[in-house]
Amino acid sequence: MKPPPFAYVTAESIEHAVAELARSDGEGKLVAGGQSLMPMLNFRLLEPSVLIDIGKIPDLTGISETGDGLSIGALTRHVDLETSHLIAQRFPVLTEAVKHVAHIAIRNRGTFGGSLCHADPAAELPMMAVLLDARICVSGQGGNRQIPADKFFLGALTTDLEEEEIVTRIDLPYLPESTGWGFEEISRRSGDFALAAAAATVSLVDGKISEVRLAVTGVDDLPLRIRAAEDALRGSELDDAVFSSASQIVRDAVNPNSDVHASADYRRHLIGVLVGRVLRSARSRARGGA
Amino acid sequence: MSKSSDGGIDLTRPKIIGAPVQRLEDPRLLTGHGKFTDDVKLRGTLHVALRRSDHAHARIGTIDTAEAEEMPGVVGVFTAELLDALTRPVFATSKMKDYHATPVRALAGGKVRFAGEPVVAVVAQSRYLAEDALAGIEIDYTPLEPVVDPEEAAADNAVKLHDHLPGNVLVARRFGVGDVEQAMGDAPIKVGGRFRFHRKTPTALEARSYLADYDQGTRALTLYASTQVPGIVRDALVEVLDMPGSKLRVIAGDVGGGFGGKASLNPEEILVCALSRHLGRPVKWTADRVEDLISTSQSFDEIVDAELAVDQDGTFLALKADILGDVGAFSIYPWTAALEPMQVAGFLPGPYRVPNFSANVRAVATNKAPMGPYRGVGRPISAFVLERLVDMAAKKLAMDPKEIRLRNFVKEEEFPHRTGSGIVWDRSGFTECLERAADAINYPALRKRQAEARADGRWLGIGIASYAELTGIGSRLSAAPGMPINTGTESATISVDSSGAVTAHFGIASHGQGLETTLAQIVAEEMGVRLEDVEIVQGDTSAVAHSTGTYASRSAVIAGGAGTLTARTLRGKIIEAASHLLDVDMADIDFADSLISARGTNKTMSLRELARAVYSQMGSLPGDIRAKVDLQASEFYDPHFGTTTSATHLAAVEIDPETYEVSIEKFVVVEDCGRVINPMIVDGQVHGGVAQGIGAALFEEVVHDVTGQNISATLVDYVIPSAAEVPSMEVHHLDVEAPSTLGGYRGMGEGGTIGAPAAIANALNDALSHLGVEIMELPMTPERLFQVISAAQDGEAESS
Repeated sequence: MKPPPFAYVTAESIEHAVAELARSDGEGKLVAGGQSLMPMLNFRLLEPSVLIDIGKIPDLTGISETGDGLSIGALTRHVDLETSHLIAQRFPVLTEAVKHVAHIAIRNRGTFGGSLCHADPAAELPMMAVLLDARICVSGQGGNRQIPADKFFLGALTTDLEEEEIVTRIDLPYLPESTGWGFEEISRRSGDFALAAAAATVSLVDGKISEVRLAVTGVDDLPLRIRAAEDALRGSELDDAVFSSASQIVRDAVNPNSDVHASADYRRHLIGVLVGRVLRSARSRARGGA
Repeated sequence: MSKSSDGGIDLTRPKIIGAPVQRLEDPRLLTGHGKFTDDVKLRGTLHVALRRSDHAHARIGTIDTAEAEEMPGVVGVFTAELLDALTRPVFATSKMKDYHATPVRALAGGKVRFAGEPVVAVVAQSRYLAEDALAGIEIDYTPLEPVVDPEEAAADNAVKLHDHLPGNVLVARRFGVGDVEQAMGDAPIKVGGRFRFHRKTPTALEARSYLADYDQGTRALTLYASTQVPGIVRDALVEVLDMPGSKLRVIAGDVGGGFGGKASLNPEEILVCALSRHLGRPVKWTADRVEDLISTSQSFDEIVDAELAVDQDGTFLALKADILGDVGAFSIYPWTAALEPMQVAGFLPGPYRVPNFSANVRAVATNKAPMGPYRGVGRPISAFVLERLVDMAAKKLAMDPKEIRLRNFVKEEEFPHRTGSGIVWDRSGFTECLERAADAINYPALRKRQAEARADGRWLGIGIASYAELTGIGSRLSAAPGMPINTGTESATISVDSSGAVTAHFGIASHGQGLETTLAQIVAEEMGVRLEDVEIVQGDTSAVAHSTGTYASRSAVIAGGAGTLTARTLRGKIIEAASHLLDVDMADIDFADSLISARGTNKTMSLRELARAVYSQMGSLPGDIRAKVDLQASEFYDPHFGTTTSATHLAAVEIDPETYEVSIEKFVVVEDCGRVINPMIVDGQVHGGVAQGIGAALFEEVVHDVTGQNISATLVDYVIPSAAEVPSMEVHHLDVEAPSTLGGYRGMGEGGTIGAPAAIANALNDALSHLGVEIMELPMTPERLFQVISAAQDGEAESS
């Protein structure tokens, strides 16, 4: 279990990294935290010609306020998301989700941008990007662009990134006042990838749902927002019957895989249970509960 | 001051045996100074990477290694053609009737029989370069039908793994007592069904690792090996390599766990030795995690059809079982394919009176990694099957699971008790362990709380598992019946050197049990020296003339016994020498804490002074005395039969009624392992064993697809419980009656893994009792719970 031979370049700037990627003609890989890439190299699932280490590029870390949201550098490590007061204050659902990302040692190395680019279909952070309407900022040879999270993920381990593009920042627009949230995940063990996970935000106006977002992961090829369930919930009273029908909509909408851990049927069953739970948590928090 | 009769041990000084002394090996292990096989760096070492079969069953055609041979750093590329010429095949033979041995070879030749079997070895300057060269090998396979399902494999017309054998059944045997059919026929109540325990793999933290160093000058070969059984490996290599034992040394340095996966002879051990001798260079192979998961011996793969008959008051009348063990592609050396399934049958009657018993056992070869010993060997399956049957009977009788067990345990006055499978239990705390466990968990209060939880819609379950096992098995029984190895004896050699230091040599091989500490405790106390003055040498075939290693819960009992006898002999010699040197009667010599003194005088001498006098001051002792008091001794110990260890595990679990996640709320173990040498180490062994039992109950399963591919070959897919999944547990020790073993020790290293799966299975079953389901399969993963519960709920919906 040793990696195949590869060249190694330390990128000094975003432009340098983009140029090296372009020069590698599709054969290069960026490495940041390396928490997914290094095992894949050791299994020889990938044989890149060059590893371009972006870990030393300045200004790709940190969490800052932009006026209408938070802007998070792509190299921000999971542990820094987990312990950030700004995130805890503005996006407590993200703080909760990050606790479920693997184990402490991995959270100390892995990066937000890396997790999004890897696009594991059972990972937490891609789901959070989709839930929170993240705008993923990328730089490439043609300049910069922003990709909405729900257009960024295309399938398992597949994103909208061009071969020479690099994720630089992730912008998260603030949620409305009096928004409650819920996050639930079922995994075989603490720290494992999700068999199923769900997250919701619920914003209330006059006791009715004014805005609702519902995202799931582990139950399809990519993290999903379940818009049909959101539509059913929006404007409704917050009763359990509506939540049940939302759960059913989600079960019908997803297309889970079967593997050694769980069948598609069990994953589908689980996601319905979790959707009910996250909606109840979000309702309780939106009403001022803990 | 009180004195004992044997040699003046001061009974008032603190005992070392029984004290929770900190492990002597821990400072080096915890500070990163342990020396494991892969840490051994020898100049000029070459590294092996293996091209393993990607077919479960195929004929090997031409192998083209030309491209690999030209790759950077490659020294040679080797196949069975060369290895078969360099070595002699070894067979796990046995005197058992109807048993068929299979060869152990370094590399597959002719055929591959499981996906992961080594076929080609690349030897290169580094492991990286060796792995790079694997891509340059072309193997022309002709696929054969994979034999994956054990029942199909056992059929008369099945595709055969081994062409020279009559079929895939490697051993078949029937045994029992009484007239089961008659008793079953007459019985008012019968329970039973098909039980399935799925394949598990040991997953030691340190994967297997071997480094062979052939010295062209002395023509001697040293194998550094991550093994539990350096003695067995050395003796096998004598045959395989046709070298005298004096030229072959196997050293198991620090070993990071074994659990049975390092208790057999492995192809890679033969390979590195043969290649080192062939190339005249040190040759190393260290398994990576995938190799460990696909090629290390696996276990616990059984289908058991079993039935228990009881009368109206819950008394057991008869037990019968048909056991099919899926033993994988080869009969493992030296234990044979019989080991695991035969133990399932042997221990099936458990700690109960079962007047009529019969078991039919078959071990069948399939295209999977070979089955070998794994902590508990067969007994986790016996306990699972029997303890489930006991609970099923209790349920049918509306009896409490505790009561039915108490009614059927072998009672105090009935020991020694011969079970239907022929095992003889000496007195052990069968009843006492259960009573104490029930007290510890406050069983009546727990049942009450369960009823309240049920009323709230919570699925809380309580499970009991009681079991008995034989440990410290001596030469009259043998842990390896019919096999050409002796596992029942140990010898120890202890010397005091010219500096007064004590070194004790043993044939066992500690691989995490803390035997360097527990054996030092025994030697220190029995000799009269301080713990820190004792050095234990083990895990090295040069330490003693005959050895096997550490497995089968034998080392504390058998090596402890040898250490006890040897320490006592040496103590006698020291006292005799001291009596001359201090000029007082032997009866007046005190020897404790490494200090020798003449009672009633102020004359003392240290062990160092005594050693100097004996070895170096030629006038100090008369010649005839000097010859008698040489400061070394060697004694041999054979417990002849061995002794019974028993325990009850009690688990309380809760199942989430929506997601079917399982949480273990409480876990209590009460065990009778006789005299405890070191309670901290015994607790640690129980904790680790229970953790592996939890793995077997809820998480761990080696999964093969229909083509025989192992699809759980990473630690993402082979799920072992982590710290977060293992509850804190309560452990109590009983010592109801001293066994006949020297020192009163009973073996206990495996027990945790035996009781936990059964206790958890019963607790899950209890939690689901309102659904009328029976837990018949382990591990009970969330997926299996989902299937079982969905089927029950669908059935309910249909019938309502």
